[in-house]
Amino acid sequence: MEGGERAELRRLMERLADGDRSAFRPAFALLWPRLRAFAVRYAGAADGEDAAQHALVSVFSRAGEYDPGRDALAWALGIAAWECRTFRRKRERRKEAVGAVPEQLDLGPTPEQAAIDRDLRDAALAAIGTLRPFDAETIAALAAGDRTPGATFRKRVQRALARFRTAWRARHGNE
Amino acid sequence: MATNDRVLLARARRAYELGRLRSALRMAPFPLAAALVALTAGRPPALTAALTCVLLALAVGFLYRGGIAGRAVGPGLLAGTAALAMPLLMATFGHACFGPACLKLGLPACVAGGALAGFVIARAAAREQPHLRFVAAAAAIAASTGSLGCTIAGAAGVLGMLAGTVCAGVPVLIAARR
Repeated sequence: MEGGERAELRRLMERLADGDRSAFRPAFALLWPRLRAFAVRYAGAADGEDAAQHALVSVFSRAGEYDPGRDALAWALGIAAWECRTFRRKRERRKEAVGAVPEQLDLGPTPEQAAIDRDLRDAALAAIGTLRPFDAETIAALAAGDRTPGATFRKRVQRALARFRTAWRARHGNE
Repeated sequence: MATNDRVLLARARRAYELGRLRSALRMAPFPLAAALVALTAGRPPALTAALTCVLLALAVGFLYRGGIAGRAVGPGLLAGTAALAMPLLMATFGHACFGPACLKLGLPACVAGGALAGFVIARAAAREQPHLRFVAAAAAIAASTGSLGCTIAGAAGVLGMLAGTVCAGVPVLIAARR
């Protein structure tokens, strides 16, 4: 997302938080493609679409509480990351309940590589899920290509990544 | 826009409206607490219930709608608390309030509470553009809250509170606009 669009989304969410319903459609038009792309990338094509829809509804449900001091896209992506994690957990529970059902693989160079990528992505999402929402939101923003200039964001990223590494090591050792 | 997107848009819109209503309802404990205070101070239950319903409807409605009216709810409640507290404090500290005796201290207490409310509303309104809608919304909330206490002096108490609000609020508002 370009800087201009990002600022526009922030303005629109601020207007929505204040109760200006005319900002709804443009905010939807800006948010939906980004949330869908993000969720499909992180939860796979099958779960991604559903996770993105849940995330979108959740974002608008909480739009009245949006804090204008926060970046709207990072906030929305943080919610989407949470939804992706929820869908992943549900899928795991379904798998446990049904037994070992062959799973549809994501696109990848080889089936083995796709499976490795998927496992890594799931493991990363699981580790992100143990972080505080603020850190998860920062990592989601970074993953979405956010490179907001400034020392504050850089420090946020450093701290979030440090906590992510700690969470990763706690689950997987030093792999 | 594709059909799926239209359905999703409608779902998101419904979620937005419900989310706003949920947020607006979070302030419900305040009018209920004000009603409890009024009842504890001996205000009649039927009148207190009616005023609380009006206050709840106004506050939730304004917060749900949002915009200037929504921003006026906080200052309105704060201002109304002053108008509510003055006569009830007076009653709590032993002033016998029966018949004409109520007008002796009850009425001045309501006027003073109203003046304080007017000052609070005018100071908050000075930060808003345009002022008039903000003042009207905040005054409606403050009047409903204050009436919970000012009915202790009857209709004269409520009118006195409103007079105090106007007399103290207007000069502050005019001074702030210059």
